[in-house]
Amino acid sequence: MGIEKYEDMNALEMDVIKEVGSIGTGNAATALSQVLTRPTKMSIPDVYILGYNEAIEMIGTPEEIVAAVLMKMSGEINGIMLFVLKMDFINAVLSSVMSKKIDDYMELTELEKSALEEVGNIIISSYVNALSGLTGVTIQLSIPSIAINMLGGILSVPMAEFGYETDKLMMINGKFIVDDTVLDSNLLMMPDIRSLNHLMHKLGVD
Amino acid sequence: MGKQIIVGIADMKMARQEGVLITYALGSCIGIALYDPMIKLGTLVHIMLPEQGTMADKNLYKYADTGVRETVRKMTAFGAVKNRMRAKIAGGAKMFEMKGGHDLGNIGERNALNVKKMLREQGIRLVGEDTGANYARTMSMDVSTGKVTIKTFGRPEITM
Repeated sequence: MGIEKYEDMNALEMDVIKEVGSIGTGNAATALSQVLTRPTKMSIPDVYILGYNEAIEMIGTPEEIVAAVLMKMSGEINGIMLFVLKMDFINAVLSSVMSKKIDDYMELTELEKSALEEVGNIIISSYVNALSGLTGVTIQLSIPSIAINMLGGILSVPMAEFGYETDKLMMINGKFIVDDTVLDSNLLMMPDIRSLNHLMHKLGVD
Repeated sequence: MGKQIIVGIADMKMARQEGVLITYALGSCIGIALYDPMIKLGTLVHIMLPEQGTMADKNLYKYADTGVRETVRKMTAFGAVKNRMRAKIAGGAKMFEMKGGHDLGNIGERNALNVKKMLREQGIRLVGEDTGANYARTMSMDVSTGKVTIKTFGRPEITM
């Protein structure tokens, strides 16, 4: 097995992940523009391999409330995809889809949560399609699940899930530009180590 | 109250007489506050996983088993006595409810079970617990009194 930890990836392997990130973000921007019915642009995303506390700092602060959509990958690739939505992103979605805005996460109704869950689903699927399109692997996705709570608690889920394999989280950070609003896109893409090696093997870079 | 001492993830901090030990946003992780009231010695540990298993991991505070054992050892070295020590625990939530048979291993629940098992094994009395459910908790202990406070999103503060 070539890669034993995320941080073991060499420059070539990281480039592959970056490529998945770029294609995925492009797909996601296209999908998002259809949902929001507004032109949506994207920035070229960066890929980061971060420790727990660094990952939290990259997105916000531990007690900050965020919404997050989690989907599990299975099939040839096992792992977790987690998309974090902050208030500005939520309001961009709600104002387009439901013509409303919120000031507090407590105001979110079940229907609005489902809408956000669906947006998370669309974005995560965009990346998973990039991943399977590039490598030819088949990946099944679970039904999305949303949580609205403290960022630290939410990030503890992928941390704990992979805690026996790695101390790091793999994150793809980019920006969506909707009209003139810049929205941060924070996606945790966490294939398990066996799956990561399988991906690299498929791409012939191992 | 005294100064705040932040306990990170997979981390432990100790204080005597004064100060507030705090750990933020416990999700499936567990915060374990141990206190010897006689000498006002307190520790707060933030563990992430139920057991060390076969991991050759130097970070003992990442796991319930090694984390509890090492913290008790340190406290004893600083003069604490096991039968005076009391434990209060918080966390162990299930942050995401997965539908359609794709459940994540319920690490929060396993963490809580293992922390309690370890406390029993060490002979330390558990006097307060706020675990489970689906939300994150920020836990702090005032070392001058041993009082533990739990803060959550959208729910009243708990003291124990």
